[in-house]
Formats: sequence, structure tokens, C-alpha cells
Amino acid sequence: MSSAAERRLVGVFSRKGAKRDHTRRLRAGFEKWVNRRIPPAREITLNQRRIFIFPSRIGLFFSVCLLVMLIAAINFESNLSYGLTFLLMTLFIVSILHTYANLSGLTIRALRATPAFPGQLSDFHLMVERSKKRDHFALYFFWPNGSEILVNLVEEDSNRFQLHVPVDKRGWFNPGRLLVESTYPLGLLRCWTWIDLDISALVYPGPLASPDLPGVATDTPDGAAVPVTGNDDFYGFRGYRIGDSLRQVHWKGLAKGQGVQTKQYTAYADRSVWLDWEQFPGAGVEQRLSHLCYWALAFEERSEEYGLRLPGLVIQPASGEKHRDRVLKELALFGFEGATL
Amino acid sequence: MNVLQQVPRNALVWGIICLFALVAPHALRLPFWVLGVYLLAVGWRWQVYRGRWSFPRRKLKLAMIVSSFVGIYFSYGSFIGLEPTVALLLTAFALKFTELAHRQDAYVLIFLGYFVCLTEFLFSQDLLMTFYSLLCVTLLTTTLVALHQPGQHQFNRRTIRLAFVMLLQALPLMVVLFFLFPRIGPLWKMPTNSHTGTTGMSDFMKPGDIASLTQSDEVAFRVKFEGEIPPSSDLYWRGLVMSKLENGAWSTLGLYSVPAKEARPQAVSTTGDPLIYSVIMEPTNQQWLYGLRYAISSTPGVMATSDFRLISPTPVEVEYIYRARSWTGAELEPKLSEWRRKIETKLPPNANPRSRAFALEMRDAVESDAAFMSLVMNKFTTETYVYTLKPGQLLGRDAIDQFLFESRRGFCEHYASAFVFVMRAAGIPARVVAGYQGGEVNPVNKTVIVHQFDAHAWAEVWIKGRGWVRADPTAAVSPTRIEMGLEEAMESEGSFLSEMPLSPVRYRSVALLNELRLRYDALTYGWQSWVVGFDSGQQMQLLHRVFGEISARTFMAAFIGSWALVLIPVAISLFRGKDTFPMSPADKYYRMFCHRLSLIGLKRVSGEAPGDFARRVVAAIPEETEQVWNITSLYARMAYETGADGNRNDQNALEELIRAVSKFKPKAQRNAGGGLHPPV
Repeated sequence: MSSAAERRLVGVFSRKGAKRDHTRRLRAGFEKWVNRRIPPAREITLNQRRIFIFPSRIGLFFSVCLLVMLIAAINFESNLSYGLTFLLMTLFIVSILHTYANLSGLTIRALRATPAFPGQLSDFHLMVERSKKRDHFALYFFWPNGSEILVNLVEEDSNRFQLHVPVDKRGWFNPGRLLVESTYPLGLLRCWTWIDLDISALVYPGPLASPDLPGVATDTPDGAAVPVTGNDDFYGFRGYRIGDSLRQVHWKGLAKGQGVQTKQYTAYADRSVWLDWEQFPGAGVEQRLSHLCYWALAFEERSEEYGLRLPGLVIQPASGEKHRDRVLKELALFGFEGATL
Repeated sequence: MNVLQQVPRNALVWGIICLFALVAPHALRLPFWVLGVYLLAVGWRWQVYRGRWSFPRRKLKLAMIVSSFVGIYFSYGSFIGLEPTVALLLTAFALKFTELAHRQDAYVLIFLGYFVCLTEFLFSQDLLMTFYSLLCVTLLTTTLVALHQPGQHQFNRRTIRLAFVMLLQALPLMVVLFFLFPRIGPLWKMPTNSHTGTTGMSDFMKPGDIASLTQSDEVAFRVKFEGEIPPSSDLYWRGLVMSKLENGAWSTLGLYSVPAKEARPQAVSTTGDPLIYSVIMEPTNQQWLYGLRYAISSTPGVMATSDFRLISPTPVEVEYIYRARSWTGAELEPKLSEWRRKIETKLPPNANPRSRAFALEMRDAVESDAAFMSLVMNKFTTETYVYTLKPGQLLGRDAIDQFLFESRRGFCEHYASAFVFVMRAAGIPARVVAGYQGGEVNPVNKTVIVHQFDAHAWAEVWIKGRGWVRADPTAAVSPTRIEMGLEEAMESEGSFLSEMPLSPVRYRSVALLNELRLRYDALTYGWQSWVVGFDSGQQMQLLHRVFGEISARTFMAAFIGSWALVLIPVAISLFRGKDTFPMSPADKYYRMFCHRLSLIGLKRVSGEAPGDFARRVVAAIPEETEQVWNITSLYARMAYETGADGNRNDQNALEELIRAVSKFKPKAQRNAGGGLHPPV
């Protein structure tokens, strides 16, 4: 089993926590089996290979009730009571098929996950679709540690929804196996599967303020290193380009029908700043990344241009959401294998 | 709240419907305040739903539970017995509803509801009741389904469909289980419905009792004969033998007034073929059963008494089936014991002096008891006695004198009572027998339906050398009653079921109504004999008939086979369904075209445009160029052009496409080369 898969499963099974050795071994065996049976994929269609079914707690309670009813029927020698008890028993059995049908044939697709900072929630966008025109009710999606949701597929053939999972460390975050569960229609049986969606959220380094501004570093080639705050020298408009910050879009002009234009500010054009790995001597890797992240956000907030220099990587100064995302992504994945895309 | 714990509004409404549907059949048996609890519960829960009130607090809930318990104790006098138990169950059901907040509460409520359905069967196993209970089960199941349909914020009538379908799918399996599940005796004694009154004949008869019983059209029992049904005039269903006359009323001998050595019936020598029949009795809450004389029963538990009657070991609380054989000509008790003679000739002192004098005088006039008996019978035939349901007041110490010599109007009990009195006065052992006489033959299933209005009383006289002989003075007064039944006998008087203007029996002359009534009765009979009365004996018979020799293997095979037979179609119906992206006919034929090409090695890769594919195909098999382009362009036209000029062109194009594709049969080319592989 790969270490990635191991990590994934920890999230699933750590809820109860292994206490004894043999249970841990048992669990590891189960994990191996589950991983073989339900390998990770971008989209997963639920079929008999993946779906497990077993009486729910309510189902067991119902069985006890049926037993009591059967005893009543025997003791009163009442044939109609026998009949009713048997009817409910067979209803239980028929509901196995119905419960199973509610989950089978569904395709769950991983759409995207929003990047997040450690400790925040990442939104995982998923989609569930049906292949046959059958009603599916109360599909329960749950990520351990994350949020849960109930989804119906009645009128429409697919449904997009989000689950929020808190992320922890910088890098790619995989939320682990997703629980897909259904007890519809009678609640007597629980039909479920743990699917491993090939979806990960990008976790940025946690921003960490540093007392000194990085701009004072001497090796900035542009020279103009001091960021000026609050200096909004409006220069003019240019046509909107993808990646421009929405904050700089000339909305009023757009409303007047002048097309999408971006406002330009002179101050930033010649005051680009370099965020440099070397600017934080003595700091650890994570700390440096956190400081860089902090400053990237700070400059983006002020709509100033900034560039990034990491060992083995240079991003030319620019600004805008696209640029910020790229910078943050590089910071998030710094030091990980095959990080840059 | 957890998303899984929410109770959708739809489920709440279905729950309220269940609540009232379940309590309805019990309503008349329950103390009225329980119904008040129901209204309160629903009202409260509704107010909670509307946000006006909050859920009852713990202390209040406790108070409600305790007061309900106390209320039931005072209403019934105890907690023991079926009625108080059911009342408790129903009250608990209502109270649980007030605190219905989470799904878990709803489960408890619904499962309790299933129990309530079960208890209904302990009171009635009627066909209609069964259908009603099935309706209740459907409603409860609907609530269960609605509970698992989140986001249904409005009452949805359609929810019942799934519940209904599921129950329908479960029904055949239930039937299999019902007939195959072994019937074992009760594990322990259960409380019974001791609080309901007795119905039908009573073991105490004063003048007028049977007459009032004949105002009921209820069925007393149904009989199925093996072979011919004897004529109505031979159907004297003996139920009770009344040997004791006190204060003008006849009653049976108490169990403990019979000495031990007299308690067992004397041996009876039987000759000839018996009448074989089975009886399904409606509940009476009494122990005695009905049979033709001389009846013995092979049904386990049925006992015989010293006066040759059949009794059940326990009161008949639900429909009861027993089989019997009768030898109508058998000689009963040829030797009368001293004790028996004393009991059967005993009369209260001093009452009815004229009758006594008459009896002694007449007895002296003839030489034998038998002759005396026919002499008295003659008196009823020759003199003007009237058989009537309205005999007028005949009470007091000398009621029999009054009847015999003055009013001369009476119903069967008057005649039987007077006849036995006269016999006893002459020193001849005689007794009153109460039961039913005749019955309606149902032509649909050849059963005899005996109604309450067939209730009758007659006499038995002990004649030396012949034993107990039946003597029915009513037959002498009104032969019509015995041969045709009460309705015809009372035709001129118009008193038949006069208190029940709506009874369907009254409309027997309306052919259609009568046909319907008899058909329904036949259905009830089948229901009672096959379902309600199904026992281990019948089970064995049935299994023998179906499987021949019963072995564990055939049993299991039948069980599994029948289940597979039901579950597989259910599964197929479940997993079938229209595709969410249905293929258009054009797509279908284009795919057929692609399939034919794939057979010769030309596979269309996913995402390859039809035009690109056609180019590749043409390169591989140039001799089909025209065909391929024709099909491709036809398909492209249908798939991508949104035809502005309507469907007719489309239809033409489709027909052309179908024709082209069906004609298209490409052959593989050896020298196709690289063209066979899709560009990557």
C-alpha cells in the first residue's frame, strides 16, 4: 500500500482509534482490501463491487420488534397476527433491494476543491449523477472531520454540492475517503461505501507577519523597493485581460456599456517588489514560506506588483488574482516532489 | 440538528393520518378520554410545528404518562387483560407523538403503530378488518418512507405509492411464510379480552329470550358438510341442554351440581355412516359448541358432556373451527341413572296447577309415554295455537298455565317450556334443548349459514327403549318454521328482523343484493377456514398435497425457489429505468453503422467527429465512399441541424438513414494499411 493511500485512510479510520495490536492489523487488512476494491478515481460509479449493505441500528431494533410480534402471534394463536408479522419481515427483505437500488448506478464526480489556508475549510465541489430515470432520495455524503450533506436526485439528473473539510498542513490536502450512505426508503438497512475520490485541495502556507519589509533587501534589481501605501495614482484604462483583479475592473464603465475595462494605476508599474527566499535569513523553511505568503497577500491587497524568487524558481512581478494564485501555489508546493505544474 | 435527524413535514402529516387511522377501530372500546388525549397530542404537535408552542417539558410529560396510567386503571379496574393493555399501548402512541422531534422518535412511533395493528386482530379477524389493517400498515410504511425523503416540506400524496408497491412486492413472500411457517402452540397464557360481552345463546332462558335473539341477523356459525346437506328440518343444532326450572326460567346444570360419576357421557352405539361436517363458529365468549345429535369431534381439545353436547376447553373468543361427526339416529342414554331421572323430572312445587292436572289426566288416558307425547303434540296441532314473535306478557308463577289454556300465543321457548313441563308433570324425564334450527344454504360454496335468528328451543323426552327422543312442539304449531325458516313463518306477522330495517338478510328477495351477500359470505367462509383457522393440521394436509412427501430438502427448495421467483422480478423492475440521456433514433442507427465498421477493424474513437471518422473510413475502404458519406451527412444533418421547417423533413431523413444503414455491409480490406488506426 502506498503511503499516500495510507495517509488517506488514516482520516477515515482514525475516528475510533486503534487500541489493540490485532485490531490494528485487522484494520490494516481491511484498508488494503478496501483500497484494492475501491481504488481512487476522478469519478466513481457505484456498483455491487463498491456497495456494502447491512441492517442499520434501527433495522436491528425493528427485528427485535418483529420477534416480539411473532411471540404475540404464537401465544394468541392468531393467524392474522402471524400474517402481519410475516408481511413486515418480507417488507424488510424487499427493502434490501430498494435500499441498494437507491445507491447503485450513481456516479460521483470530483469537480474541484478551493485552496485554503491551514485551519480553514476547503470547499470540495462534487457532483452526483444518475444514469437511469429513477428517484434517489437522501443520499448522505460525509467526509470524516468535514461537513455532511443530504442530496436528492428526483427532478434533475445530477446535483452539484459542496462539502467543507478543514485543512491542516501546507501542500496538497486529500480529505480521505468519502462516505456515501443511504438508508432510504425504510431506514432499516444501511447501504454505504467509502469512495476515494482523486481530489485534493491546495493548502497555502499560513501567512505570518514579519517585522521588516522585504523590500529593503539590497539585491532588488529595480531599485524602487519601497512600497507606498495609499498612493492610488489613477493612470487610465486598458481592455480587460484574463487575470486582472476584479477589484480594478471599471464597473461603472461596464454598466454604461463601454465594455470590460481595467483601471490602471501608475504607481505600481515602476514599483514592483521582489519577494525573495533570501530575505529572511535564519528562518526555517516553513517560516520563510509563511512570511512570503503574508507579503504576497499584503501586496495583492494593495494592488501592487510583486515578483517571487524561490530557489530554482522566478516569477516575474505582476499583480491580479491569477498572479497571486500562482505565487501562493508555488509557495504551497515548495519542496514537494513534482510540485510545479 | 444533524441532517439525518430531521423529520420532514410530509412525514409529520402522514404520521397524523396514521394516528387517527389506527385509533379508529378501537374507538368504541376505549374510554372516551383516550380520544381526547389523541386530539391533544395532535394539536400540541401541530402548534409546535407552527412555532407557537414548545415541546412538552420533561415534568409535564411525566405527569401525562402517570395520569394516563391512573386513568386506564380507573377505567378498566386493572392493568391485566387485553383491553387495558391495548388502551395503554394506544395512549402511549398518542403521547409519543407529542414529543416527535427527531427521527429516532418517529421510528419508535411507527413500530408502536405496527404493534397497534397487530392488536386489532386480537379483537376481530374479519375480512374487512384485515383490509383496514393493511391500509394502516400501508400508512405507517408511508410515514416511514416520508421520513427518509428530506426536503419534502409539503404534504405529498404520492409518497404512498412506494409504500404500496413495496408491500405488494412483500405480499407473495408473506404468503409463502404464512403457509410454511410451523404452527406451534402458545408459549404461555396471554391475557384475553375478558371485558367484552358474550353474544348469542345464553345458558339461562326465560320466556322471550330467544325471541329477542331472533332480532339479530348476525351469523352464529357456518357449516360445511362433506357430501349432501341434510334437509333443513333435520338440522337441529344442539348447543345447550336445560334441565333446571326455577322461577319460570330454564337453565343448565352447573358444572359442580353434576356428580363425578355422572359427568362422563354414556357410551353410545353407533351404526351406519355419520354426517361429517366442520363448523366455523363466530366468537361468543362462551364455551359451548353446536352440533347435530349425536356428535363427536376429532378436533383436539373439544370435549363431550354427559348430555351429549360439545364444549370447548376455553371460551370462544375468536373464530373457532371444529370438525364433527354425527349419527342422527343413535340411541342416547338407553339406561337412565336414578340421579338423572330425578333431575330430569324435577319441577318447582305448586306452580302451574292446571297444567299439572292436565298432564296427570291425559297420562292416565293412554298406556305409554310415547302415546302421551303424541297426545300432547296433537293438542298443539288441533287446537288454535299461534306461533308468534309477539306473544304478549307471559310472566308470573303460573305463566305456563296462562300460555297453555288462555293466550295460546307463543314463540318456540314457550312451546318447549310448556311441553317439557307437562311431560315432567306426568313423571316422564324431559328437558329443554336450546340451539339453532335450520340455516341458510349458500349455493356459492355449499355451506350452511346459521344466523342468530335461527335460534330455537325444543324438547327432548326420555322414552324407555328409545333413549332421548327429540320432540319439537313448534314443528306441530308452525311446520313452516322448521321447513322454511323464520322469515317464512313470520311472513303474515311481518315481525322478521323488524328491528333491523337495514339488514341485508331482509332483502333476500332482491336477487342482486342476495347474490352479493351470499358471495361475500362465501368469501368470509373461505377466509375463515383458510386464513383465520389455518392450523398445523391443515398445514400438513396442504404440504402433503403440494409437495407429496415432506422432507427438509423439498421444504427448503420450495422456500428458496419461491423467494427467488418473487425477488428476481422485483430486482429487475428496480434496476430498470429509462436512461437519463436517451438515444435518439438517429444516434441509434449511426451507432449501428459504427458497430458494423468496428467489426472490420475501423473503430471510432471517442470524441472523433463523424466527419473525421468518415474521412478515415473512406481512406480505408474507398469503394464504399458514397455510402459512407451519405450516411454521415444524413446523420450530421439530423444530429446538428435544428430543422426550422419542422419534423417532416426529419422523418424523411431518418427513413433514408435507416435504409442506408441497413444496406451498408462493409467488407474488410487487406491493403488498408495505416488508415485503419485512428490518428492519435
